[in-house]
Amino acid sequence: MNIFRLHYRLERKTIGFLLAIVGVASIGGAVEIAPLFTIHQTVEDAPDMRVYTPLEIAGRNIYLREGCYACHSQMIRTLRDEVERYGPYSLAVESKYDHPMLWGSKRTGPDLARMGNKYSDEWHVAHMTDPRAVVPASVMPPYAYLGRATARIDDLGLHLKALRTVGVPYTDEMIANATADAYGQAAPDTPFAEGVTKRYGEATNVRSFDGKVGDPTELDALIAYLQILGKLTDAAHRPVAAAGE
Amino acid sequence: MIAQLTKSERQLALVILLAITICGLAMGIAGRDDPLGVHGAIVILAGLAGIFGVIYAYYEPEPSEARLALYYDDPSKVGIILAMGWVLIGLFIGDWVAWQLVFPNLTFDAGWSSFGRIRPAHTSAVIFGFGGNALIATSFYVLQRTSRARLPDQLSPWFVLLGYNLFCIIAATGYLMGVTQSKEYAEPEWYADIWLVVVWVAYFIIYLRTLVRRKEPHIYVSNWYYMAFILVVAILHIVNNLAVPVSWGHAKSYSAFSGVQDAMTQWWYGHNAVAFFLTSGFLGMMYYYMPIRAGRPIFSYRLSIISFWGITFMYMWAGSHHLHYTALPQWVQTLGMTFSIMLLVPSWASAGNALLTLNGAWHKVRDDATLRFMMVAAVFYGLSTFEGSFMAIRSVNSLSHYTDWTVGHVHAGALGWVAMITFGSIYASVPWLWKRERMYSDRLVEWHFWLALSGTLVYVFAMWNSGIIQGLMWRTYTESGTLAYSFVDSVAAMRPYYIARAIGGLMFLSGAVIGCVNIWMTIRAAHQPADERLADRPVPRPAGVPAFQPGE
Amino acid sequence: MAVEERDPFTGYLTTGHEWNGIKELNTPVPRAVFFFLIVTALYALVYWILMPAWPLGVTYTKGLLGIDQRKVVAESIKEAALERSVWTKRIETESFKDIQADPRLMNVVRQTGGALFGDNCAACHGPKAEGGKGFPTLVSSSWLWGGDPEAIAETIRVGINSPHKDTRVSQMMAFGRDSILKKDEIDNVADYVRSLSDPAVAKTVTAAKLEAGKAVFTANCVACHGDNAAGNPELGAPNLTDKFWLYGGDAQSVFTTVWGGRQGHMPTWDARLSPLDRKILALYLVDRRHATP
Ligand code: HEC
Ligand code: HEC
Ligand code: HEC
Ligand code: HEM
Ligand code: HEM
Ligand SMILES: [Ca+2]
Ligand SMILES: [Ca+2]
Ligand SMILES: [Cu+2]
Repeated sequence: MNIFRLHYRLERKTIGFLLAIVGVASIGGAVEIAPLFTIHQTVEDAPDMRVYTPLEIAGRNIYLREGCYACHSQMIRTLRDEVERYGPYSLAVESKYDHPMLWGSKRTGPDLARMGNKYSDEWHVAHMTDPRAVVPASVMPPYAYLGRATARIDDLGLHLKALRTVGVPYTDEMIANATADAYGQAAPDTPFAEGVTKRYGEATNVRSFDGKVGDPTELDALIAYLQILGKLTDAAHRPVAAAGE
Repeated sequence: MIAQLTKSERQLALVILLAITICGLAMGIAGRDDPLGVHGAIVILAGLAGIFGVIYAYYEPEPSEARLALYYDDPSKVGIILAMGWVLIGLFIGDWVAWQLVFPNLTFDAGWSSFGRIRPAHTSAVIFGFGGNALIATSFYVLQRTSRARLPDQLSPWFVLLGYNLFCIIAATGYLMGVTQSKEYAEPEWYADIWLVVVWVAYFIIYLRTLVRRKEPHIYVSNWYYMAFILVVAILHIVNNLAVPVSWGHAKSYSAFSGVQDAMTQWWYGHNAVAFFLTSGFLGMMYYYMPIRAGRPIFSYRLSIISFWGITFMYMWAGSHHLHYTALPQWVQTLGMTFSIMLLVPSWASAGNALLTLNGAWHKVRDDATLRFMMVAAVFYGLSTFEGSFMAIRSVNSLSHYTDWTVGHVHAGALGWVAMITFGSIYASVPWLWKRERMYSDRLVEWHFWLALSGTLVYVFAMWNSGIIQGLMWRTYTESGTLAYSFVDSVAAMRPYYIARAIGGLMFLSGAVIGCVNIWMTIRAAHQPADERLADRPVPRPAGVPAFQPGE
Repeated sequence: MAVEERDPFTGYLTTGHEWNGIKELNTPVPRAVFFFLIVTALYALVYWILMPAWPLGVTYTKGLLGIDQRKVVAESIKEAALERSVWTKRIETESFKDIQADPRLMNVVRQTGGALFGDNCAACHGPKAEGGKGFPTLVSSSWLWGGDPEAIAETIRVGINSPHKDTRVSQMMAFGRDSILKKDEIDNVADYVRSLSDPAVAKTVTAAKLEAGKAVFTANCVACHGDNAAGNPELGAPNLTDKFWLYGGDAQSVFTTVWGGRQGHMPTWDARLSPLDRKILALYLVDRRHATP
């Protein structure tokens, strides 16, 4: 057969063979990934979408650091049971500012895409400190040490700047005030609190998340993040029917 | 090790090691209040240890020209030992992870030991530590023999092998400190990623230089697969890891992509890490060790061609089957699903080619546990690819996704295919490499085989059960048409299966421990030059001729 | 060059090459391989024509069936709701009393309430609704805001100290921290309060102390907890004479409560759960309470 002849010759040429591999292997990814940047319907429009506050970014980084994504997805699929259990299915736009996305691939614990405001801060404190104290059947590890550690917020300006480089629309003002805003978001009775709502919107949660006064702890940051999940935009709650609208 | 380097290679080694040490120093200073600083210290230590080693042996006599008449196998030997070291670490952590789902407080109230941090340590230790070292070690071995050419020099293989292990160590220690990009199977941070690119380029160059100098007109199938492994992993790695570091002094970086594009890029990478790391490379291994051990010709050269190009082409389309029903546009899901189904044909073609190669040697399979490892690996390869294509069907995936079924599928592939083919190949090559007549104990190989097989079956069956039960519980409706179980009900229902899985893992781990003892005893046994395999030599290169030569 | 030989076992020719002892047979590709390649490719082709499949620059092929996963799930949810409407309509419209009187409807409530409670409420109120420290039991006779189903449904809707505009508001003042009472006064009133539900306490502290505590209570606490400390469902102030404790009834816990105050947070479920779901939960809880000894 011809192709075998052809191959018989090809497999004698080192460089030719290498190029053939690269060529053949490049097609799939190119066809599937490139159009995601060019087809407009891929990411829905959501004019009300806001960016994460610096404290939420710090919390998100703790979520990454602890590997919560190993057990929790943040992607409600378009399936009846998921929508009925967790709420409206996730839209692409909801993770538009997620570098990287945290859709996850395993649900040892429940989906967290709509966790924001579902439970109280007190509950999160109790749960993160000792999950089995509130949910006896839980297999989640205890994270008591998060409540003891002060969050690192002095470098958040750099984080916001790096995020702006990859496309998140942080303003100069947000970057300049990142550390103060992180402090203020968990310290409602200080002058720093005001700037947070000014820059990130009235609906931003400004309170002591772990119930303790003083510098924000890692638990403060993490809970601030958990309480915003699914709340950056209302787009998913509006009756968007299909992609392609 | 050093004694085998020529004087100029020793000098080059010093330069490289010095550069590494300086990089470590820069990392340590720039990242002094960041985990990056710890990694800087590790790099400095690695660099200094190397420098010390080279200087210590610097004035030993240079290797004689006679070396050129032999294959250069020492990196393969060390690579195999490293692989066995990593498999112990990886399996131990894996079993610990498994027990944590039974006893969640098995973290000792520490951060480094919590589930989310040691889970990637497990996956990286087994895939990159064990799998990667085994691939590097065997690829050097196979490359030389099927090309009848010696590796181009003595230094670059060491650079690749040891540099790669430095990457693995940085990755694993990073997870324990919480340094991760949280992209599955690509967790290491930007500086580790960059280092891996450097190592990988060196690896590729070795391959290229040796192939170019080969004394066989045709490139053997194993090398097609090893080359695809090297090249495609490079492409995947570079694209998926594009990121912007917070600063030169931060370990942390932010991925260049976000949201849906990031998801697609990640699973294009993730799925093809499976394809080109866990499949292609190990197929290369299988295509060499299986026919040799069985003493049979490959069943069909033409089938090899069909399956190689089928796998290389189709796998790259299949990544979106990890994102069924998500916010990824449905058209991409369609492509992922259809290509996954077509992919079954070349996959089974390889599995079939392997099993049919055994025709005429089944009595050996019965008697020889080493060959049986390879045979069972081919069976599990067929099984897990069938399962994979099945799970890639959208409606099936709606049940299996997010559940332990995926984990069961993974380990059918990882334990049944990847680990088994590797153990088989290692058992085959250890006596050849160390010039022993046979393994220290065939009975221990038997023990390892049966422990590995039963451990795998216990693991996989437990996860099939738990995964399907979990998936069904999530979507079971009452007569009234409402959800029947809460999520936590499903968590509680998993417990017996998690216990079974942890026990299965323990069996698999025990087998690997036995394997290590056996290999160690073989290496320690007296040298038996009896079977020197006279043909096991490269075609001699006339003195004075430059290393680069056209293929023909 | 290559010299082919015949493999004695299979009878096929080799390709004539040998690598380190490995040979390859030139066996033709089994027909099944081509057959299945064609079958799977045809399957793919048909699927591509029917479903969204191929990107075209700034758009993609939509497929002849016009299927889109978001429409499909919206449909299936609508359909399921329609199927359920045989009983949901009745629960939505009928009064709590009527529903409770209908064993068939209550059966549905029991079936449905379990998972609904498990996925939304059990995290705080416990898998059996028995409560825990800081989270009230929902299966006792003691209710902060009233135990009839209407009151419960309202609590679920607006939450307690929640961001909802109609939220129930409750606040136990921080008598110690805000320097309203001195430490020994709090000590006394704590003992007094504990003695109300636990006669054993009276035996361990002096009568004088209880008297002093009672005085403090009358001056500071009756406004909320009522003259006889039986609580006030208007304010969510708990009954202090029963054996149910929200924050613990030992001396230390009660002291902490009075010293630092309390303000429990119960989320609002107005936006998250439908009126139907909330009604089912209220009925489910009342039913659980009756079923709990
Ligand atoms: C070993 C797996 C595991 C890890 C790792 C894990 N979780 Fe969980 N998580 C669970 C399980 C199981 C549950 C369900 C039981 C419960 O509520 O504790 C859960 C529940 C939760 C819930 C409540 C969800 C709900 O709807 O009730 C939150 C919030 C949560 N986890 C956050 C986190 C965060 C944040 C991290 C990382 C710092 C984390 N989890 C790590 C397993 C895990
Ligand atoms: C984040 C924790 C949390 C969750 C989740 C939660 N609750 Fe509550 N709930 C509370 C707290 C705390 C209180 C008591 C508030 C207070 O201290 O006054 C409460 C009080 C109540 C009350 C009033 C009890 C009384 O004695 O009057 C009812 C009824 C109730 N919850 C029902 C529910 C139902 C039904 C759900 C689920 C849909 C639910 N709760 C979910 C925390 C929670
Ligand atoms: C402004 C109204 C108000 C006043 C005055 C008040 N309480 Fe309370 N008290 C409450 C409320 C509301 C709660 C429930 C808090 C919650 O549910 O989070 C409560 C809770 C308590 C509890 C906890 C009950 C439990 O189950 O754990 C104790 C004990 C208590 N009060 C004692 C006192 C004493 C003693 C005083 C006077 C020194 C007092 N209270 C004054 C409103 C009040
Ligand atoms: C002793 C044997 C092993 C045990 C006990 C074990 C255990 C585990 C556990 C508990 C998990 C986490 C699953 C979860 O999140 O629920 C896991 C994940 C994983 N393991 Fe293993 N493992 C073993 C061997 C291996 C080997 C040999 C490999 C690869 C060669 C491997 C590759 C993986 C991969 C890729 C994952 C991630 C799966 C996913 O994300 O879906 N494991 N393993
Ligand atoms: C025809 C070949 C294969 C196909 C089509 C395939 C398909 C799939 C599918 C559909 C999933 C589940 C994705 C999800 O729902 O999240 C999956 C997961 C996985 N498969 Fe395969 N598979 C194949 C072969 C293999 C082999 C041989 C291995 C070897 C170890 C393997 C390793 C994995 C791993 C590690 C995952 C887990 C990825 C994650 O972390 O979520 N697969 N595969
Ligand atoms: Ca995974
Ligand atoms: Ca990486
Ligand atoms: Cu895949």
